[in-house]
Amino acid sequence: MTSALIADGLTKRYGRRTALKDCSLDIPAGHVVGLVGPNGAGKSTLLQLACGLLDPTAGRIEVLGARPVSGSARVGFVAQDTPVYAGLTVADHLRMGAHLNPSWDGALAKQRIAQVGLDPAQKAGKLSGGQRAQLALTVAAAKRPDLLLLDEPVAALDPLARRNFLQGLMELTAEQGMSIVMSSHLVADLERVCDHLIVLMASRVRLAGDVDDLLATHHRLVGQRRDNADLGAGRALVDQSHTDVQSTLVVRSTAPIDDPSWQVDRLDLEDIVLAYMSGDTGNGPDRVLEGKR
Amino acid sequence: MIWMTWRQFRTPALATGALLLVLLGGLVLTWAEVTKLAEQTGYTGCQGDACRAAGEAFLQALRPKWASEFHLAAIAALYLLPAVVGIFWGAPLVARELESGTYRMVFSQSVSRGRWLSVKLAFGGGVAGLGAGLLSLTLSEWAQPIDGASADRMNPLVFAARGIVPVGYAALAFVVGVTAGLLLRRTVAAMAVTLLVIVGLQIATPFVVRPWLAQPVTTITPLQVEGNYGISMSPDTGEMTLNLQPEVRGDWVVSSTTITSTGAEFKGPADMTQCGPKALRDRETCPAWLEKQNLRLKVTHVPGAKFWTLQWREFGVLFALAAVLSLVNLWWIRRRLV
Repeated sequence: MTSALIADGLTKRYGRRTALKDCSLDIPAGHVVGLVGPNGAGKSTLLQLACGLLDPTAGRIEVLGARPVSGSARVGFVAQDTPVYAGLTVADHLRMGAHLNPSWDGALAKQRIAQVGLDPAQKAGKLSGGQRAQLALTVAAAKRPDLLLLDEPVAALDPLARRNFLQGLMELTAEQGMSIVMSSHLVADLERVCDHLIVLMASRVRLAGDVDDLLATHHRLVGQRRDNADLGAGRALVDQSHTDVQSTLVVRSTAPIDDPSWQVDRLDLEDIVLAYMSGDTGNGPDRVLEGKR
Repeated sequence: MIWMTWRQFRTPALATGALLLVLLGGLVLTWAEVTKLAEQTGYTGCQGDACRAAGEAFLQALRPKWASEFHLAAIAALYLLPAVVGIFWGAPLVARELESGTYRMVFSQSVSRGRWLSVKLAFGGGVAGLGAGLLSLTLSEWAQPIDGASADRMNPLVFAARGIVPVGYAALAFVVGVTAGLLLRRTVAAMAVTLLVIVGLQIATPFVVRPWLAQPVTTITPLQVEGNYGISMSPDTGEMTLNLQPEVRGDWVVSSTTITSTGAEFKGPADMTQCGPKALRDRETCPAWLEKQNLRLKVTHVPGAKFWTLQWREFGVLFALAAVLSLVNLWWIRRRLV
């Protein structure tokens, strides 16, 4: 499988502050990839390195098989807080896109603007947060990049605007077939659109895999309290919590768990991500699991 | 890229352009008046020695007219233009993109940062230079009879508001503004620094750079005490200095000092019986005494004929500075920005 983005020992420092430290990951192409992680995990830095806005302090990054440079026609980027030119109208933004991108798809841009109900004559500074995000997404998408990077595009939006935005994103992927990498700290948003998930914690990949696989192989076990449960081969403990009488485990296992002393439940994606995030503090970093592709 | 540059640039450019148009309009409207006055006072077409008197009469007649107000306004505008261009065109150019985060949008289009900045620098610097050049050359043409009559073209204050030097100042000021915005990343801070740098440049150039560029000539002549001169002396020690206005019409006098026969600056001491408050007939005895001191006048000056040479040299220095700063900017935006 080809890779959209490969990082190897990638490090970015701002003066004495390290934003991303020794990060290695491989993001497959042809997917809608969700990049999850707590604040400060390095998601934004990674995406800005990937679109060439930042230069790495150390390490290597390759995007679509080449070192990223800003101004590349193949990579689109929607930055955090979706900046737009306040003094320019919606139509001006489309003209800017048409002038600055040889691969510009004017028809797509016009159609999307009409679809999301933006008035072309309106100044971008007067748009709501959701409309601004839609405009930024339209400009990035009409460039027709092979890879579209979105940095927390829905973080500031209300639930309705968020749903509309993600809806628009899904339509784009269905029609254009571009690879998308989208960061967020809201797993519920990603669950709706992503088919591949990467959990980034403190610059490390805690979990990576196809969403269907992750859902199928993670289980919650609830049973009588026991401190050192032997789970058997092929099974890994992700997270555990105990009360006086009861133990709750999150376990990764490719084979179904048929031990009758456990009550076995399925987990949704958010539970899985949270299990890895909280499990990270209690357990050592040797538990990094890599999903099958 | 050119469309985008123009779209973002047009508001400040049109505002500044409107002000320039008002001044140009004023010059055009008063053009006939200046020409007419020069003819009426006999300055136009004068010959030889008559020109001094006719020129004086022409300047005298011009003084109460609107034209002389416009003359001053145009000179002031040419001094203000670099500051305006640097502060309102240059400083926000990059700084505002960085502040509002829109650099992340424009740098994700299919345009490299280097190209983005070089188009903006060329466009802004070019328009600034064009505007300044239009006003300056129109003013130089308009003021030709005035400059001829007053022989004041080399005056440091007038010199920078004539010919092509204003073009260099405007272009350099624009690049200085862009540089400040790029390095400081804050619009307001960049504006303040730009103002300081430009004003500093406008003050430093006539005092430091221009004398060095002009390579002034030094002439030593015997002192003619009959002329206009000023004496300052200390009544206790008798130390005195002489200030003479040398008769070098149309030249820029960089310095003029009175020297003794040995070449040192003349500092007295004066003969207290001939000069100063204790001398009874100071007005008669003092010049006579000075005449006997064998004094000379040492004048460092730039001949008026070197006007265009000096214009080109100063323009060249300003333009080269702007070019070097532009290259630094281009390197910085590629390598050092974010």
